[in-house]
Amino acid sequence: MKNRDYFRRSIESYNFQSIVLVSMLVAMLGFFFAYIINGFGFKTWLDSSVNLATIFFFIYRQRWLPLLIIGLPVVGGIGQFVIGRNICSVRDTWVIVTTFLTILFILFLYPLAIVEGFYFEVPYLLGFGLTFSIDMVGFIMLLITSILWFLVMLYSHEYMKHERHCNRFLFFMAMTYSAVLGTIMSGDLLTMFLFFEMMTFASYVLVTHGQKDESYSAGYNYIFMGLIGGFAILAAMILLFVHVGDVRFQSAIAVLSTLGSVRYWIIGLLIFGFGIKAGMAPVHVWLPRAHPVAPTPASALLSGIMIKVGAFGMIRVATSYFFPETFVIGTIWETMETIGFVVIWLGIITMAVGVFLALQQSHIKRMLAYHSVSQMGYIVLGIGVALYLGYKGAMGYTGAMYHIINHALFKSLLFMVAGVIYLRTRENDMYKLGGLWRKLPITAVICLIAALGISGIPLFNGFISKSILHHGIVEAYEYGHRSFYYAEWVFNVISAGTVCSFIKLFSYTFLGKLPEQYKDMKSQFMSLHIPMFVIAGLIILIGVFPRFILDGFIVPALCCTTYDPNFIQTYVVGLAFFTSEDLLSMLFVVVLGYAIFYAGKRWHLFHLHLPHWLRLEYMIFYPINRLMRLACRFMYGGQCRINPLMMSRIDLDAKNDVGFLERFTLTASVFNRRYENLIIKSDALIYTLILTGILGYLLLRI
Amino acid sequence: MEVLKQIIENINYIGALALFVIGLYTVVTHSNLIKRIIGINIMGTGVFYFFVSIGNVVGGNPPIVDLDNGNLIYINPLPSGLILTGIVVVVSITVYSLSLVVRIYETYGTIDQDEIAKIIDQETFDD
Amino acid sequence: MIEQLPILNLVLLLTTALMIPFTQKISFKTTKLVGFTVLLTVLVSTLFILLHVQSEGAFYYHLGGYPSTIGIEFYVSILSAFFTLFVIALGTLIYVYSTRDIEHDVYAQDYGRYYTLLFILLFSMLGIVYTNDLFNTYVFMEILSITTCSIISIKRSKKNYTAAFRYLMLNEVGSLSYLFGVALIYMVTGYLNIDLAAESIQQVWHLYPANIVIALGFMIIGVSIKAAIFPFHIWLPDAHSTAPSASSALLSSIVVKVYIIIMIKVLLRLIGIDILEALNIPVFLTIIAASGMLIGSIFALGQKDLKRMLGYSSIAQIGYIVLGISLMSSLGLTAALFHIVSHGMMKAALFLSAGAFIFLRNQRAINGFNGLGYQMPISMAVFSIAGLGMIGIPGTSGFISKFNLGVAILDANQWFLLVILIMSGVLNAMYYLPIMINAFLKDNPEKNRVMQFEKLPKVMLVPIVVLGLMIVLVGLFPNSIMSYIEAAVAMLLA
Repeated sequence: MKNRDYFRRSIESYNFQSIVLVSMLVAMLGFFFAYIINGFGFKTWLDSSVNLATIFFFIYRQRWLPLLIIGLPVVGGIGQFVIGRNICSVRDTWVIVTTFLTILFILFLYPLAIVEGFYFEVPYLLGFGLTFSIDMVGFIMLLITSILWFLVMLYSHEYMKHERHCNRFLFFMAMTYSAVLGTIMSGDLLTMFLFFEMMTFASYVLVTHGQKDESYSAGYNYIFMGLIGGFAILAAMILLFVHVGDVRFQSAIAVLSTLGSVRYWIIGLLIFGFGIKAGMAPVHVWLPRAHPVAPTPASALLSGIMIKVGAFGMIRVATSYFFPETFVIGTIWETMETIGFVVIWLGIITMAVGVFLALQQSHIKRMLAYHSVSQMGYIVLGIGVALYLGYKGAMGYTGAMYHIINHALFKSLLFMVAGVIYLRTRENDMYKLGGLWRKLPITAVICLIAALGISGIPLFNGFISKSILHHGIVEAYEYGHRSFYYAEWVFNVISAGTVCSFIKLFSYTFLGKLPEQYKDMKSQFMSLHIPMFVIAGLIILIGVFPRFILDGFIVPALCCTTYDPNFIQTYVVGLAFFTSEDLLSMLFVVVLGYAIFYAGKRWHLFHLHLPHWLRLEYMIFYPINRLMRLACRFMYGGQCRINPLMMSRIDLDAKNDVGFLERFTLTASVFNRRYENLIIKSDALIYTLILTGILGYLLLRI
Repeated sequence: MEVLKQIIENINYIGALALFVIGLYTVVTHSNLIKRIIGINIMGTGVFYFFVSIGNVVGGNPPIVDLDNGNLIYINPLPSGLILTGIVVVVSITVYSLSLVVRIYETYGTIDQDEIAKIIDQETFDD
Repeated sequence: MIEQLPILNLVLLLTTALMIPFTQKISFKTTKLVGFTVLLTVLVSTLFILLHVQSEGAFYYHLGGYPSTIGIEFYVSILSAFFTLFVIALGTLIYVYSTRDIEHDVYAQDYGRYYTLLFILLFSMLGIVYTNDLFNTYVFMEILSITTCSIISIKRSKKNYTAAFRYLMLNEVGSLSYLFGVALIYMVTGYLNIDLAAESIQQVWHLYPANIVIALGFMIIGVSIKAAIFPFHIWLPDAHSTAPSASSALLSSIVVKVYIIIMIKVLLRLIGIDILEALNIPVFLTIIAASGMLIGSIFALGQKDLKRMLGYSSIAQIGYIVLGISLMSSLGLTAALFHIVSHGMMKAALFLSAGAFIFLRNQRAINGFNGLGYQMPISMAVFSIAGLGMIGIPGTSGFISKFNLGVAILDANQWFLLVILIMSGVLNAMYYLPIMINAFLKDNPEKNRVMQFEKLPKVMLVPIVVLGLMIVLVGLFPNSIMSYIEAAVAMLLA
């Protein structure tokens, strides 16, 4: 009895705990930002205060700081196993405190990141030694990752009470965190690959956490595509190692330009490998399956952070290996131009595919996942522009980085909202919901903020990055190929589609008539609302003061690259937000979006589905299935063990990847038994045949 | 004539090769396990015959010290010595495989490879 | 003194094999103790040999003091010193494991026989690695194949008899082919010593090309059968899956590798790269290896029995090794030799943990692994580490070998082989991953899914854990063994 009492009290105190932690975070970030821009003379004061400066100096001079940052989540993950099975809230506090400490140490990396290219080497590991480096790009990723992770962990305390296997979940969450941090901080491709694979495997467990058939099927899809991506990166790494001799992230274009088609293989494999993780079309297939089945905190992070790591990988490899050592104008950028052209169009296809499929979804989380695909399309587009325009690509780079930050914020917030809705109603289908704003007013407001953010409404963060990306695509058209004129149009239409999609989400869930069974639901403040407030606040802050992130983080990051400094100075630093042009085009997008929504609702266009033969899985797997069936027929005649009925069912079903695997296995085994029986009888015959063959061949040769 | 002479000079090698091929043919075509063992033995004999023939020197004496006879051309004793070892090895292999055949006959009731394969196939199909 | 150690090792192993029937009369425990002490002694002495060779260079040992033209010669180079250490180290671990596992697989009256066979097996493998004589290699090979067969058929079940018989027949054909090749080499060179014969071959190559070519064909095919290189792999899955688990580990991780060492000796030390390349042998080997890598994996996918699947996976992995050899470059050979070691450890770990599942749960069928990770967490974890190594995940030794192999392939400018390498990796993932996923992430409806402490006996658990740790350690610090391998390759290509 006493135990239970204690339990209840500790739960109640949890609100208090999270408020304390969050205010500490806010204070810390406040001091940090004050330090960056020297607000209130904070930086001057800190530098003059000898004692504090010595302490800070001591901490950030430690070369092993990256290892500490990577190790801290692992310690947290293992520690929570030890702390406990039963004492749920102590365990969660422990996990949250370790993530909080990680933010603290990451902030100490700032002086290193801004001043110098920081290298730290762990020799002998994996034969070549692992290197870690931190620069401004990495620091942006680290900061956004750690802040979001902390907030999501706060959120997950309340949410995970309703799920099983909490310990396992938290452990693999911590491993994923550590892997993500490692990927971002790595200083060469080998280290990146190591942590990237670790991330794939650790996050796999998060995807299949639900242990339902659906999650296994999504999980197989996820892990096999992740592995194929990993192997593509491995192949690229081997190519680089053989041809360049070094896999550190430093300029290799001098060697690469002499290589002919090999350089395209290298960058192509890298973009394919990282693109799989980033959810780039046409290899996005895993994403809309894996993200919805994972528990909400995991899907918030999968969509918020993990796919960004793929985009970050693309930026990292492209801007290091394929950029010249110092700023030059010349033919050296030609390689990038070709690649950038392809990447821009890939980005546009990704955007289109994502939005188009998102409009048809009724499952909230799946719709959000498709929007992740589409928003990743924006980022890929930005990367494409950054590569395509060569030394003038700074705008695309800025847009991609900015959108990475923004998308991480609003997409994780949207997933958190979806989680709250599911928690309260046990329903994921938006057509079955409605009128929830009376019952969940806080959630409704937060959802509205996030939706405005993702739709790119002025004064919310999405507007900023979308208008930068818009500038980028316009520049690509002006300085580059004519075809990007159409790309700009597609860009606008897709933005309208996004707006429409979120009008739909908001109106179907929060507006309209409340279904009968939710009548007696009560509004309730939970600790999971606290992190959501913080993110919503960040969304608005960035939307209102867009210059801060730009000047404080992205411009220093740009200065590390070898883009044209003049271009950066005039166009990026001097970038004006909220110009009438931007606002007008946004108005157009919103109007168009509303029109699409109206049309869709009127004529039931949201229930339209593509004919199944147009689906990507169908196009890839159907021929293979047919082939295997033919092979089976060939081997076994009429007694083919692959059931044709099963096939027709799978053609129409969504989950045909496991089926594919199973069928492949079945065919293999059928083939194998046939072969074995034949071959065992004729073991000596094979010997004779091959022996005569070889001897004949060799004798002919001499 | 030249060809015939060649053949006669190398008759040992040709015979050895023929034995090897005959043995191999037996192994390939017969499904009776004991016949296959016999085939292996024939193959072995072929190889040994070949090996011993290498050591042969035309007109040579057996490598035994014989001071009375002035002929000091000996045949190479090394291959013969080696082949003694080889014969021992093949004999032991034969014995071991025959004992295995006995076991197989006890468990399957047949020593015909095709029939055994059928039985095994049936068993795996039942699994 | 150190020069005497190789022969002392051999004698020690052989005497132990002969002593075991007597110690068995006292008690099984004595046998175990005696065997373990002997293995430790041999392990220490091989370690000494390795250190000695590393500092002083390779040395020869003439049996009975006969000159190398007619006598038997041992050549203790860094290659043989390193690989004897590898053989004995893995052998010791497997031996420790087998002392308990044997109760599950073998009848009580056969315990003594089993260990006699085991020691003769180790003896002959050491002999093969040390010897520098072609005919002596044949004799050791025959000893090895007859003991291997006995160690398979010792389980006394139907399947074992047929598997052993098939193995014996095919291996005998292989041995005889090898011997035929030796005869042809002896015919033209007059030597059986590898060094002398190699010198002589370089001189007579233009006079008697036909002899050497036929010899080469026979020897390659003969050794290929024994090393289960792709089209001759027929015997392997049966033999390795029916044998007692400890023997399967021994066969897959060491015995097959020893034949590959013979292959390396024959190809590189006896014939030499120049002749091989003139005859296009590397291309032939490449084709065989590449098809083996794919077909072995595809067949492994179709298996329902865990140990059979592992057997087929071995065939694919042997393909990797042969691929490394077929590149005929120092990078390729380094990758191949490294993969011999790394595959040895991984396959031993896989077979031993598979043996543990069979020992405790009698679980052989692949689709019955649901929730096993909760009942046997440690052995399942090691199984997963080794499986991930097979796929080539960084942090395991498998990644290092795959990376090295990839570098070697591209160095030889054959990018399509890289594609095959990666396809084979994906196929590996297709059959290893589902097992791990089922074991750790699926619930077994019949058993409660509370994490249990491993009930496996300590003597079986310790080797499994040691192997798991070794896979990770070698994966993280490959340079520790890479230096020996590079020295060995430099010696081979000198």
